[in-house]
Amino acid sequence: MSKLSFRARALDAAKPLPIYRGKDMPDLNDCVSINRAVPQMPTGMEKEEESEHHLQRAISAQQVFREKKESMVIPVPEAESNVNYYNRLYKGEFKQPKQFIHIQPFNLDNEQPDYDMDSEDETLLNRLNRKMEIKPLQFEIMIDRLEKASSNQLVTLQEAKLLLNEDDYLIKAVYDYWVRKRKNCRGPSLIPQIKQEKRDGSTNNDPYVAFRRRTEKMQTRKNRKNDEASYEKMLKLRREFSRAITILEMIKRREKTKRELLHLTLEVVEKRYHLGDYGGEILNEVKLNRSDKEIITPATLHNGNHHKIQECKIKHPHHPSLKEEASDVRQKKKYPKKPKLESVITPQQPTTEPLPVISKSDIKQYDFHSSDEDDFPQIPSPVSEPEEENDPDGSCAFRRRVGCQYYAPRLDQTNYSCENSELAELDKLRHRHCLTTLTVPRRCIGFARRRIGRGGRVIMDRISTEHDPLLKQIDPEMLNSFSSSSQTVDFSSNFSRTNASNKHCENKLSLSEILSNIRSCRLQCFQPRLLNLQDSDSEECTSRKPGQTVNNKRVSAASVALLNTSKNGISVTGGITEEQFQTHQQQLVQMQRQQLAQLQQKQQSQHSSQQMHPKAQGTSTSDCMSKTLDSASAHFAASAVVSAPAPSRSEVTKEQNTTHNNINGVVQPSGTSKTLYSTNMALSSSPGISAVQLVRTVGHSTTNHLIPALCTSSPQTLPMNNSCLTNAVHLNNVSVVSPVNVHINTRTSAPSPTALKLATVAASMDRVPKVTPSSAISSITRENHEPERLGLNGIAETTVAMEVT
Amino acid sequence: MQRIEESANGGPQLEKGIEERRRGPRSPASIQDGGGASRPQGEVTEGCRLPVLRRNQDNEDEWPLAEILSVKDISGRKLFYVHYIDFNKRLDEWVTHDRLDLKKIQFPKKEAKTPTKNGLPGSRPSSPEREVKRKVEVVSPATPVPASTETTQASVFPQNGSARRAVAAQPGRKRKSNCLGTDEDSQDSSDGIPSAPRMTGSLVSDRSHDDIITRMKNIECIELGRHRLKPWYFSPYPQELTTLPVLYLCEFCLKYVKSLKCLQRHLTKCDLRHPPGNEIYRKGTISFFEIDGRKNKSYSQNLCLLAKCFLDHKTLYYDTDPFLFYVMTEYDCKGFHIVGYFSKEKESTEDYNVACILTLPPYQRRGYGKLLIEFSYELSKVEGKTGTPEKPLSDLGLLSYRSYWSQTILEILMNLKSENGERPQITINEISEITSIKKEDVISTLQYLNLINYYKGQYILTLSEDIVDGHERAMLKRILRIDSKCLHFTPKDWSKRGKW
Repeated sequence: MSKLSFRARALDAAKPLPIYRGKDMPDLNDCVSINRAVPQMPTGMEKEEESEHHLQRAISAQQVFREKKESMVIPVPEAESNVNYYNRLYKGEFKQPKQFIHIQPFNLDNEQPDYDMDSEDETLLNRLNRKMEIKPLQFEIMIDRLEKASSNQLVTLQEAKLLLNEDDYLIKAVYDYWVRKRKNCRGPSLIPQIKQEKRDGSTNNDPYVAFRRRTEKMQTRKNRKNDEASYEKMLKLRREFSRAITILEMIKRREKTKRELLHLTLEVVEKRYHLGDYGGEILNEVKLNRSDKEIITPATLHNGNHHKIQECKIKHPHHPSLKEEASDVRQKKKYPKKPKLESVITPQQPTTEPLPVISKSDIKQYDFHSSDEDDFPQIPSPVSEPEEENDPDGSCAFRRRVGCQYYAPRLDQTNYSCENSELAELDKLRHRHCLTTLTVPRRCIGFARRRIGRGGRVIMDRISTEHDPLLKQIDPEMLNSFSSSSQTVDFSSNFSRTNASNKHCENKLSLSEILSNIRSCRLQCFQPRLLNLQDSDSEECTSRKPGQTVNNKRVSAASVALLNTSKNGISVTGGITEEQFQTHQQQLVQMQRQQLAQLQQKQQSQHSSQQMHPKAQGTSTSDCMSKTLDSASAHFAASAVVSAPAPSRSEVTKEQNTTHNNINGVVQPSGTSKTLYSTNMALSSSPGISAVQLVRTVGHSTTNHLIPALCTSSPQTLPMNNSCLTNAVHLNNVSVVSPVNVHINTRTSAPSPTALKLATVAASMDRVPKVTPSSAISSITRENHEPERLGLNGIAETTVAMEVT
Repeated sequence: MQRIEESANGGPQLEKGIEERRRGPRSPASIQDGGGASRPQGEVTEGCRLPVLRRNQDNEDEWPLAEILSVKDISGRKLFYVHYIDFNKRLDEWVTHDRLDLKKIQFPKKEAKTPTKNGLPGSRPSSPEREVKRKVEVVSPATPVPASTETTQASVFPQNGSARRAVAAQPGRKRKSNCLGTDEDSQDSSDGIPSAPRMTGSLVSDRSHDDIITRMKNIECIELGRHRLKPWYFSPYPQELTTLPVLYLCEFCLKYVKSLKCLQRHLTKCDLRHPPGNEIYRKGTISFFEIDGRKNKSYSQNLCLLAKCFLDHKTLYYDTDPFLFYVMTEYDCKGFHIVGYFSKEKESTEDYNVACILTLPPYQRRGYGKLLIEFSYELSKVEGKTGTPEKPLSDLGLLSYRSYWSQTILEILMNLKSENGERPQITINEISEITSIKKEDVISTLQYLNLINYYKGQYILTLSEDIVDGHERAMLKRILRIDSKCLHFTPKDWSKRGKW
């Protein structure tokens, strides 16, 4: 006892314990069992079970004997291992694979039914088998499906029939049997299943409920970081989902509107049918009455897709002949291949022949386009035409896909006033190339245009001219020295642009000439600029002076700009006074008149072809310019026509502000032109079309001013348009225009076939009015710029040749 | 069982003095009846305690005191579910009336009927002390326990009786409605907040499962492959299957069906011949398969249901997701037959390397249990961790683990060579590292073996001769060993996964 009186140190797990064998312990008695000093470790058993008789007996037996004694083991209920039918039950043998068994997680769930047939089922099966053949597995699948389909309520026979892919009689027999069996079944299901927990917690203490889900998170602490990240992800997910919802809602709205339109169209057609208005006269009458009101609306519409409807409606009363003609043309071409088209057109475009007013294809047409952007019956472009078939690429730059329906270019803009066509002419500038200088390496790369590719990369499209070797010599510094005054800044890039005239198109130009051209701002030239010098003041200034703007920034819009310089004698850099503006406008009107007179005088075919040359040259000249500016230049042209300068000025200002963004020939249009452009891109990514459409939009934005102006100042414009729009004119135009357009467009890496198509396929109604004024302009300017034209021709020819090779 | 009954026909010895005590209202007459022919069984209700004849392993008759847990009537014959006090629950059984010694019957006290918090007391046959303590707190103010409860057993008795009475209202063992709420009561939490069991681990250390239903075996017999097993404990197999004389299990996928016919049908569709997991160990005919409780739910659940039949403290309250199951199989030409298994938490916060461990009864006492344990430590060695089995241990579990620990530690101690003539020495930590046995278990084993002694100012380990002899003899019998070379196991870091 005295030995135990000292306090033993705690057992240190890190301290080495020497090991003594019994024989090494001479003084074993001196050794003190320290068990009491070391805290007794718990056995880890439940207290009350620890004291159980058999355990205690076994423990003590082990303590005593140091080994198990048979009689001292803990008794357990008996188990037998003599199931004599085992080999019959588990048939076959299983060879142990050499490799460790590796199980594929998805192999586990096979499609076998969980239900196992019992002997009662077997009786039924035997009975059924007298009448029909039913295999046990088949039966089990049936029961399995029935069981799994019914929760608290049994499935009905009807549901069972849907569920089971069997003979009706068999289903009935099995179903009836199943219902009976189910009623007598003690369990909730014929497939014995572990009781599931109920959400309300009523089963929390039910001992037969097992494998409850763990509602709480196990170790939130460990995953705290994770939680934050996943929370953010969840938020993001939520945002995206809600965006998807918004989009879907918008789609829903759109589709509803479409349906409404369909119904309305149907109604109209039906009404017409009842009225016997097969020719569309009544419709036209009605539309005529409405058109006065409606004519204003397009001005506010931006989306090319949508205002087309109104356009069509408006146009009908004004140009019934034109419309009919156009549809005639289309019919001839498309009817055999696209019978639908007719019915599509009918509601809007009255044709002479009576057509089935409400046809199924009519409705189908809507179905067909239900996912389309266009609500109104779009005019499908002809699937293929003779010319196209010869040309593997067809009139489209893209290869047409089988089964895809493409829309023809829009023709309606022709019907706009003649300013529009004039604008359209200028619009070609969009695809023009400018003399361009790079920042790094600092050198002039010749004519190029800039555009933004996917992902915002800046792409320079270069064209080769014969000035290229010459242009390479241009030192950017030379340009720098004088261009700063006329530079404008592209806010988003390090390219700035100086203006240029179309001089550069001349065949023979010396370096000094080019430089002087640049200096005099007759030649457009882009060059890098490091400072954003452009401020609002200068912007305003330029915008107030359209002439200057044109010269400085954009466009230089060939003909118009030239007009300014040559006719009005206005210095290129100088502003335009109101007076000058007025005169300019008068000149324009005069030009139109001249043009009109020419057209009327001469036989359409010949004259238009003759006219087309200058026109085409004019266009191509302008095509050499930067491509962005057309909207602005178009505005300029438009404003020129408008007698009241104030509104036009504001208009121009506005537009120019927007175009400032586009300055470097990159199409980043804002406002109307932006929408339009993107639409065009979406449609065909064809600048040819986009040019046309852009003209149209510009036209729209200025319609308020343009149309009155039209009516007052040049009443002849509309008739002129009409007269121009004969087939003959088109065809002739085509022959002349197309090559030029083709090459121009190809050079701009834009689809030339579109342009071709513009001329040929789409009855080129838009082309003609465009052609006329511009050709008139160019005819005026011809004296002054004869060499330019020649140069242009040269370019055109060479490029065509290039294209051919 | 039958033989027992026959031998019991002689009738219990009634000559021994009947202890005089309060009885139930109808009791006295029946006792005098002796043979109990007329109506004695009518009085034997749930909660009564009396000696019941049982035959021990040595084939001797014993009359251990037992408690009636349930009474059922099968075709006019009453059967009593008895729990032998201080015997493990696995020996509980249905007995006929003639095995009851009615002379020594102790009736539950009326007073004790006072309900506990929830109106339904939980009680556990083998834990009378605790019951009493709690009971007194609750009951004594209202109804003082009569002084006439003399014997130690009697002092325990009223408490348990209350439970019996409460459930006695319903015949048979189906009293589902009754057990509602019991769980809450039986939750150990002293603050009385009813709550679901803890979500970690797989064992219930307390009385949360301690209602009358889970105290009674519900499956009479399970046929598994060649074997017919008599379950030891309750298992939540679908209730409609509990009335079957035999529950049939597919030997390989462990699916339960109600009849041999169904099993036959099932076997035409089930092509498994091994546990549906990856084999990670094979030596000779012994293989181990790893099964993810999340990926293979149906097998895991079936395995748990089967295991629950033999594991008292196992809980099936929650799903098997956070566990891995290591199934040990023995191969023969028919396939890989399940011998035993242990489950393991994918992530254990308490260093558990085993949650539940079981050798199926037909394979018990043949060294498989130790093999399973050895394998579990082998996995821990690969993981570089020490581990310990989840508590509470069962009696068999304790014996097995102690035996394994003892043998493993003694093996190390005896193989220690003395360096340069000095006495060999080792730290507890070293033992723990070598064996992956948690330090506490090492200490407790050393204590249990009485190896730790204090000698000349320091702790020493003494290997007495009988210990050495005993160990050597035991190791001779231990033929089955895990060969770590045959283990192909890469532990996964489950904490890096989203959720197990």
